[in-house]
Amino acid sequence: MVRAVPTWLRAASVVFLILTALILLAPLVVVAGASFSASQFVQFPPDGLSLEWYRKVLSSPEYLSAGWTSLKIALLVTVSATLTGGAAAIAIHRRQLPGSQVLSAVFLSPLVLPTIIYAIGMLMLWSSLFGPVNFLTLWLGHTVVAIPYVIRTTLAVLSESDPFLEEAARTMGARRLQRLWLVVVPQCTPGLAAGAFFAFNVSFDEAVLSLFLRKPGLTTLPVQIYGQLEFSPDPSVAAVSTIMIAITVILIFGIDRLLGIRNFAET
Amino acid sequence: MSDRTENLLLILPGLLLLALAFFLPIFQMLALSVAGPDGPTLAHFARFLGDPYYLGILWRTVRLSLIITAICAIIGFPLAYIMARVGPRLRLWLIVIVILPLMTSVVVRTFGWMVLLSRSGLVPELLRDLGLVRRNFSLMQTETAIIIGMVQVLLPFMALSILGVITRIDPRLEEAARTMGCSFLQTLRTVILPLALPGIVAGSLLAFTLSASSFVTPSLLGGSRIEVLAASIYSSVTQTLDWPFAAAQAVILFVGVILVLIPYMKVTGRSHG
Amino acid sequence: MKSAFKTTILGVSAIALTAGAALAQDKTLTINSFGGAYEEAHKKCIITPFEQETGAKVQIVTAYSADAFAQLRAQKDAPQFDVIHFSGGQEIVGAAEGLLAPIDAAKLSNAGDLYDFAKANLAKGEGPAYSIAAIGLVYNSEKSPKAPTSWKDLLDPAIGEHLVLTDISNGYGMLGFLMLNQVQGGDLANIQPGLDTVKKLIDAGAVVVSKSPEIQQEFAQNDAWVAPYASDYAYTLRKAGLPAKFVQGSEGTPASYITASLVANRPNTDLALKFIDMSISPAAQTCFADALRYTPTNSKAELSPEVAADVAYGEDSVKGLIRFDPKVIEANRAAWVEAWKKTIAQ
Repeated sequence: MVRAVPTWLRAASVVFLILTALILLAPLVVVAGASFSASQFVQFPPDGLSLEWYRKVLSSPEYLSAGWTSLKIALLVTVSATLTGGAAAIAIHRRQLPGSQVLSAVFLSPLVLPTIIYAIGMLMLWSSLFGPVNFLTLWLGHTVVAIPYVIRTTLAVLSESDPFLEEAARTMGARRLQRLWLVVVPQCTPGLAAGAFFAFNVSFDEAVLSLFLRKPGLTTLPVQIYGQLEFSPDPSVAAVSTIMIAITVILIFGIDRLLGIRNFAET
Repeated sequence: MSDRTENLLLILPGLLLLALAFFLPIFQMLALSVAGPDGPTLAHFARFLGDPYYLGILWRTVRLSLIITAICAIIGFPLAYIMARVGPRLRLWLIVIVILPLMTSVVVRTFGWMVLLSRSGLVPELLRDLGLVRRNFSLMQTETAIIIGMVQVLLPFMALSILGVITRIDPRLEEAARTMGCSFLQTLRTVILPLALPGIVAGSLLAFTLSASSFVTPSLLGGSRIEVLAASIYSSVTQTLDWPFAAAQAVILFVGVILVLIPYMKVTGRSHG
Repeated sequence: MKSAFKTTILGVSAIALTAGAALAQDKTLTINSFGGAYEEAHKKCIITPFEQETGAKVQIVTAYSADAFAQLRAQKDAPQFDVIHFSGGQEIVGAAEGLLAPIDAAKLSNAGDLYDFAKANLAKGEGPAYSIAAIGLVYNSEKSPKAPTSWKDLLDPAIGEHLVLTDISNGYGMLGFLMLNQVQGGDLANIQPGLDTVKKLIDAGAVVVSKSPEIQQEFAQNDAWVAPYASDYAYTLRKAGLPAKFVQGSEGTPASYITASLVANRPNTDLALKFIDMSISPAAQTCFADALRYTPTNSKAELSPEVAADVAYGEDSVKGLIRFDPKVIEANRAAWVEAWKKTIAQ
């Protein structure tokens, strides 16, 4: 006889969800609200109503080119970090290499140090070896920072997977690449997907490395926003963020329509 | 090809990348921490460890990170569970709510909190109207502000880490437990929680390390009167231009985080199997 | 699935290649500017006229003094800037570390018209000051019960929690603090009176911020009345629609110099010098004062009465500016910042 989930618990979870949503969304609502403000500064509730800041952002070559740069880097980082990180996670998970604990700690370490230390170190090393920094420097740097996320998510999913599947495939005569591609990779797909998603975001939102590794023409969106806030914090930064929020919402619903996030989450 | 070769081939690209593009520059930078005018010195470490002010910063960093991680886990686990078990339509909305904060720049999100928490912001005003606080009450430049801001930044990481694991738990396990007479909460505690542990551990490691090394949110919400280690490092690098001391602080942060993480990984590793 | 994957890889590498292709232009200068309204004025007053006159291309990296200096130092072996602008005295450290190149005053046609203090250490590598921000009292003319006139007015208990102080990690904050220290009987050898005063002010409710946007936030939303800060920022606030006014404290006005320095080990020295020369020309400085209310350092710069009222203008007025010895500040910065942090820590 299965006892039903108590009503008070259902009520409590509704309250819980509402509170959580409030915490997660409150600053975004403020930012979105402030982006329509007619006043010169970020203010909530907004003062007056105006689309002035959207016009300013969309007609600003600085914002547009920074957005494009950020997008390019984030896409490249998603690919490079997911491939290298995913492969490494699979190897670590099998525990056949010596010191797999140490290895996973090694791959986690870029998270532990404040990025500014890494940024300065990278800038010093690159300048002394190769001269001026370029797009590749930033790509490498972002990939390093994003790899731990892929490793973490993939390992977490793998640790719940069935270790005997691969063994079974082996006994049944599957070749090495087949086992890897047909058995192991599908097993860690949710982890890889989550890792790829994190990697994209980490890169898209990374400000410190981008700040120190920049050169003319290589300004990412967060650096552009940071600079704008530093000198003249008008609501244009709020407008940029609101545009990003809107794009995200559209993307998520689009992915859901096409592929179905629910299926994907149940894989 | 042996298993060993296959594993080596898999791990090699990542390992090489980290060795050349991370450890090399980092070691070059951290080597500065023992650099003195006349050869190697531990003076920068002695300066930090011998000064109650800096020890206070270290303690605050560790303490706040632990609190932030705990809150994220406490909210994140039920959130992920609910996300995994509700109908597809509601789940989609929940995923949107969790993912949205990730897609906005941390700087901008923090700015949103600054507007909300400052003296004339909505939150203190509400508390004031309810008669709970004094007239000039402000949440800005308090540790509470840092915690609120960081939880908002890190909760999505935690929830998604746990969600990835919970969706893979066979729902029949839960049914079995319920059929055998477990109440819902008992099932949650004895079946789901242990199985979700790898996700919680992964999420906590992420949340703890990220909050210990983050700089933007704590320095904007806490202000210069409540300094955390990453902000202190930042100021040594860009303001006082004392790079050796910055490197020493980074080493101390690194060691401090590792010291907290190792026992944590051991304990959870053991309880899990 | 496989082919989709391949296409992704191809597309991705194509992006990488096009992005990697560097700009290769003969006459290109790389400089830093401070972003926002400053950068707009910089373009209008110096960069665009310079490009038109020389046919060269100027590439701007938006970087504040502190960040720009950190980048310059880390890139010692391969600097990317030709001309670098600082507002916090970083040129002194940069020159001492050999990151900046000495400038021959004879190569700058406008150098002769500069006030002496603006070109004192050209030969050491400290570039000329091309504008000055005056540090005084920024106040809210609508809410503040009375207009402050002297630095001592900051101690008025009536101001209390409506006072905004700036962290001394900020260049303007440092100068405001040193002035407060001096008014309270301290000097560059002894900042204790200043620290004690700050402690008292904080206990009375003063807010400490570390970045200029926070000052705007305080004035716009949090009922701030007075902040010791720079004249140009009062103007920025006013342009944003806030009732902010600037007044020079009766005890004196500390000056913050904005300098343009020549970076060492770069190929385009002559072009870079031409750029620096343009920065110190009367036309450029007049334009900067019009746009942002900075005090010119060129004695030939002519300002309209309206602009002149907002800045220190003319030889006598400029002489009245206080310049705390930047060498002493640099030598003590680390220790002072630490003492300050300990004072304000909660």
